[in-house]
Amino acid sequence: MTRFEELRCEEVLDVLEPWLDGDLPPDEEARVRVHLDSCPSCTAELALARAIQSELRSLPLPDCPPEVLERVRRARGGEVIPFGQPERRTSRPFRAALAAAMLAAAVGASVFFLPPFRNEEPDSEEVARAAEEARYALAYIGQVSRRAGLTLRDHLEAEPVRP
Amino acid sequence: MRTRIIVPLVLMLFLGGSAGWAQQRLSDQPGYVSVEQLDLFPREDLSVEINLEGALLRMVAAATRGEDPGFAQVISNLKGIQVQVFPLTGVEEGAVRTKIGRAVRLLEDRGWKATVRVREKDEESYIYLKESGDQILGLTVLAFTAGEEAALINIVGKLDPAQLERLGQSLDIPQLKRVPAGGRKPE
Repeated sequence: MTRFEELRCEEVLDVLEPWLDGDLPPDEEARVRVHLDSCPSCTAELALARAIQSELRSLPLPDCPPEVLERVRRARGGEVIPFGQPERRTSRPFRAALAAAMLAAAVGASVFFLPPFRNEEPDSEEVARAAEEARYALAYIGQVSRRAGLTLRDHLEAEPVRP
Repeated sequence: MRTRIIVPLVLMLFLGGSAGWAQQRLSDQPGYVSVEQLDLFPREDLSVEINLEGALLRMVAAATRGEDPGFAQVISNLKGIQVQVFPLTGVEEGAVRTKIGRAVRLLEDRGWKATVRVREKDEESYIYLKESGDQILGLTVLAFTAGEEAALINIVGKLDPAQLERLGQSLDIPQLKRVPAGGRKPE
């Protein structure tokens, strides 16, 4: 351990973090700087402390729940607020999966058990017109069939089939 | 993150599969004939075009059950009805007959069986059935009457031709006079 005039290494290491944060008075800050300029061991400690500080600052700030903030606010007013029973909470991904599964089940059930979905339900006029159109199609078939039968009969009468 | 991807994916697969299962397309039915493939008549010149299918036919069957049970019985088993009527006025009739001949060959190539084939100077009539085992799953009529009109009719679904013919003949003339006003002109 090297000994310097102004500060010893132990004294410098004790104030290294406040020095990094700029919390020391100017004269003490200057004495630490003088020590660091000439002490490789404390400079290495300083580099480590700086790296740790940088890593800590890069972490996201914790989000304090509003109910905790409210307890703190009221406790400072002299009132002690006991915590209630812990609420059973499911994780967000699990809740999302559960909601999706329920939605899928509901839609699936509607597909299997309800009548087919139609954008526009035909009204009675449309159904009546469709009935007329279906009758027309069947009537046309009847006409073609009858005509073909008559043609066949004419042929048979003109040229009877001989046994 | 993985859950966020998997959950929507599973949901989409489930919904897609269910919808696909629930929706049976008319064109997948064995008795269906693609009018586009037959390419008989230009749509813009049709005097009557009818396309009925699925839910609408079921509603027709339900609506007519009381007044006309025979008709409702036939309709309730059908999946689709397609009709195209093409007037022959001012048309090269030879070209239409050639197209009908080609359509007949196409039907026969695809397993349709002829029950009626009449080929006269001024008239052609063809009735084809699509069979599966002892069931009839489709009926197609092609008709040509010189100086009047040509027609294609395709009935899709389980049917009894004798019942259909009886019903058709009972509906014959008055129905044909009445319906073209209701029949839709192509849009």
